[in-house]
Order: sequence, then C-alpha cells, then structure tokens
Amino acid sequence: MSSVQKLAAAGEAGGQSLPDVSRPLLEVRDLTVSFNAPHGLVKAVNGVSFSVSPRERVGIVGESGSGKSVTAQALLGLLPTATVTGQILFDGRDILSMPKSDLRALRGWDISYIFQDPLSALDPVRTIGDQISQPLRLRGVHQKEAKTRAIQMLAKVGIREPARRYKDYPHQFSGGMRQRVMIAMALIGEPRLVIADEPTTALDVRVQAQVIDLLYSLTEEQGTAVVFITHDLGILAGFADRMMVMYAGRVMEAAETDELYYRSINPYTLGLLQSLPRIDGPIPLTLTAIGGRPPSPSNLPGGCSFHPRCRYAQDICTAERPPLETPENGTHPSACHFANWLTEEPGVLR
Amino acid sequence: MTDNLLEVEGLVREFAVRGRHQNVKAVDDVSFTIARGEALGLVGESGSGKSTTARCVLRLIEPTSGTVRLNGVDITSLRGRELREFRAKAQLVFQDPYSSLNPRMRVEEIIAEGIRIHRPRVKDAEVRDEIVALLEVVGLRPDHLTRKPAAFSGGERQRIGIARALAVNPELLVCDEPVASLDVSIQAQILNLFQDLKARLGLTLLYIAHDLATVRHLCDRVAVMEQGQIREIGTRDQLYNDPQAAYTKALMAAVPRPDPIEERRKLAARRAALTGATP
Repeated sequence: MSSVQKLAAAGEAGGQSLPDVSRPLLEVRDLTVSFNAPHGLVKAVNGVSFSVSPRERVGIVGESGSGKSVTAQALLGLLPTATVTGQILFDGRDILSMPKSDLRALRGWDISYIFQDPLSALDPVRTIGDQISQPLRLRGVHQKEAKTRAIQMLAKVGIREPARRYKDYPHQFSGGMRQRVMIAMALIGEPRLVIADEPTTALDVRVQAQVIDLLYSLTEEQGTAVVFITHDLGILAGFADRMMVMYAGRVMEAAETDELYYRSINPYTLGLLQSLPRIDGPIPLTLTAIGGRPPSPSNLPGGCSFHPRCRYAQDICTAERPPLETPENGTHPSACHFANWLTEEPGVLR
Repeated sequence: MTDNLLEVEGLVREFAVRGRHQNVKAVDDVSFTIARGEALGLVGESGSGKSTTARCVLRLIEPTSGTVRLNGVDITSLRGRELREFRAKAQLVFQDPYSSLNPRMRVEEIIAEGIRIHRPRVKDAEVRDEIVALLEVVGLRPDHLTRKPAAFSGGERQRIGIARALAVNPELLVCDEPVASLDVSIQAQILNLFQDLKARLGLTLLYIAHDLATVRHLCDRVAVMEQGQIREIGTRDQLYNDPQAAYTKALMAAVPRPDPIEERRKLAARRAALTGATP
C-alpha cells in the first residue's frame, strides 16, 4: 500500500474503510501490468496506487515507457493481452474482476476515455454525429432525442453550426476540431470520470488552452473527475489539483500541484522541470538536461530505476529500490533514498 | 553589409485545392535573410506555411514565384550538377526520427550514403574515420556504427539524423521541428547539441518550430508566421521582451508555463473573458 493514497483519500490507514461521503470515485491499489513479448516479460506498470475523488483533476506525468498510458488503459480494462494484478475500484467495484457485460456498461457511460490521436480513434466512414450519439442510442435513447443531445454537445465543445456539422465526416474537421469531437463523444454520456490520454499533444498552443478550459469547465460545472495524462509539465500547471510523476512503471512523486512544481523533493521531477525551455526569465547557456535515456520496460535497472541517470545516485540507489513515502520533514511522498535530504531545499536541483 | 548566407525574397507557393477556383497561397510573399553562423527560428501554428517555406528553401518543392539565394546564387533555377551541389550545401533534419531513418540500414551506411553521393572520391577508410568523428560530435559512440535504427531511442535516432546531415559539410542546416517528437528529458539534450554545433562548427540554422520556448533557447532571430505571411521578425530579445504583432502576443500568452500560480491566473482570465462575452 502506498502513501499516495493518503494525500488523495485523506488518510486511509491499515485498510480501514472510510465513510461513503468521502469515498473516492476511483481507487487504484498496487496495480501491475505486464506483457508477454518474444524477448521476455515487459513490466509496464509495477505497483501503482492512487485515488481520484469526484470533481477532482489529477495529472499523471511521464515520458515514453513510464507506464502512464498503460495505467490509463488498465483503468478501462482495455488491455486484453496483458497480465494485470492489483485492484481498480470504481465506486467500490473492482473493474478487474467485473463481468465483461458490467464493464461494457461502465465504458463510455460512467467512465470515458479521450484518446491522443483523434484521427485514428474516429471512424472515417461514419459521420461524427452518428459516432457522438452512439453511446446514447446504445442505451436506448430514441434516435431523435440522441441527435438533439449530440448537437447540443457539439455546441458545448465549441463547434460552430453544430446542426450542419453533425452530418460531416472526420476528415472535414481540423485537428483541433476533431479533438473537440472526441471530447463531445466522451462527455455525451455524462460520465463521472474522464480519462484524457495526452488529449492536447498534437494541437497548437492556442487550441491546447481551449481544450484545457473545456475540461476544466466540465469538472467545475458537472462535478466530473478528470485524470489527465501527459508528458508536458506546462499543460498541467494550471489545470491539475494533484499530480503524480511516473517513471519506469512506478510513481516517483505524488503531490498537490503547487508542492510538485515549487517544492519537489524528487531528482527526476526536478530534472524534468529544469530541462524545460522557458519562454521568460534568463536564458541559460545550456539547458540542464537529464542524461541518458528512459529505461526499456523489458530491461529495468535494479534498485531505483532512475539511478543510471540521477546526479545524486549513491551505492544504495543501485542496490535498493526506494519506497514511495513521505520523508520525515516532507509534505508529500517521493520515491528517493535522499528525499529527506532534498526537503532541506525543496524545488532545487543542487 | 552583413554576410548573408540565405536570402529569401517575395517567396510565394500556391497549391490547387479541389473544388475551389482560386489556388491557396500556403506561402504568401515571404522575405527574410539569415546571416552566416546565425540561427533563425521560423515559428507558426499548423497550416501557417512554415514547413512549406522550408521545403521551398531546400527546393524540395518549386516555389510559385520569388527567389531563394544561397551565397548570392538563386537556387530556384538550378539544374543538373549545380542542383546536386546545392543539395550538399543545404541539409535537412527531419521531425520524426522514426520514419526518417531506413530501418534496414546500419548507422554507418545511413551516414555514409551522403558522403558517397556527394564526395565519391573519398576512400572507404577515410569515410569510416569521418563517420566515427561525426558520431563523436553528435554524442554517439563508435560501437554504434554497426547497429540499425531499431536499437536506438528517439533522441539517439535524432543524433543519427543530425550526423547524416552534417556528413556532407552543409552550410545551411534546416531543422523541421527536430525535438517535437522527443521526450522532455531528451529535448534538452538535443537543443544543447544544436547550440554546441552552432558554436563549434559555425553552422547556419533555419529552425522550424511551433514551440516558442525551444526557439528562444536556440535562435538569434525569430520570425512568426501566420496564414502564409511573416507577421513579425526580430532579434530574440525584441521578439520575446517586446512583441509587436497581436498574433505573436496571442501565441506567447498561450504557451503554458510550469508555474501553477501563473497558469491558474491565466485560466481564470480566459474563463472570465468567456462568461463576460455571453451574459
């Protein structure tokens, strides 16, 4: 059991159950995901725990191979070929042991997913109206009513002339508009949880901001919870309530957003923040890059997975994996043997 | 007079669009210069014409009108041997390091290809020495020579792409979003590499990006494009400290910063503007 949950669920100690009012909407306990590949076992997620409350905005940050997208896909049972262990409780029910029909009832209705690439996630030969209204029609909403609500939803996500565009095909929309169509499709069932997997990565900055605003309004106005997955620390700064930084299938640091950006106590998070080029402030001669490259999930280094790239690495880091815990003087958990030392000067890569 | 390596003047490129009588001007009267040893950033959103401009500069496509001069020579009318010589002088680093390296070739072959085409008289042993030296310049090891692209990460592949471009001793390096598809921790490595190459080899760069922040770290001057036209061009300090064009300002404002307090303020302002508009 990890201490990330403490932050989220206001302290769940020793399996003691909480009263229903503060029960998280989603609770992930010690999730592991692995794939059988020709060259051996690929350990994509290695013991991730977190929870999400209603109307909460949780950011998951990670680079390629960090396990962030696999975690997201596991939440919806979208990994038929993987070995998944642990628990994923949605509203108290375990998604992993649920009958398929129950899971289908959840998907697109209680939990929906916004994919990174709208062009490959939309069916090119069906009109977008047909695709957006599908979740409603599948649940027995009358054709006419479904259409009306789909058009309303298109208007809500900022598509102009929604009634006319309802009959258009995906290729008739620009990238940003397609992403809005995806969002409309994800929201039409009025889900309680939206998982957004890099929904803004392919978009221009001004469109990115619009998508962020749209998801933000959703949480504020409808109480929807959002799990936002990205590799971009900038995007989440204004959006997320809480954040989780993943590396090599594990959580490196979990904190409230301000804590993470201003007072990080994890060398990897600090490295990511330092390596970002900035649009204001002094321009350094060279950026402080993190050396090396992320490890392959089929060949993870022993000890702390980040140790080969870490400037603080000592013998203990190669030998022992640091648990994700809140250090003595810290405010939030970090998986680093030197987290307590880092609390002396949080937010600084020394 | 400054020593301009590249001079682009009145560049226009039109494309025919099915169902429309009028051609679309992807690049619409673009002019700029790049001095020797300078890095110019060309920034714009998708569809702004920045990549089309780059492709015209490299003569991968023919401009509709206008001139592109490299060392004072108009390259838009070059043919035969002269065009081949130009190909060595202006090289491209691609955006996607996965699709721009032949998966069946070894690193050595990938880098050697340009040398063999443009400098056929160089002996095999010398080619190998040059490649080893190039790998060192871009931060790879000699034992990488015999591997194929699949063995490398995105950042390492981009280093191979850069080594390939440098192999023919280009005067101008055109980089089309070279870090856009890389992981954050790797982007900084590659940006530092470009900075280093510029200082050590005196390279002249035309750096295409949609991202104002990376451009700020690398480029001496910056041009901002929208709808096929340059809205603003200036030195880095001018453009970032005191942007003039409304479009530049809008782009700058939208760049997310890793600063929650500032970003929440911006988000609240955007929301207020929205609700203010629809009472």
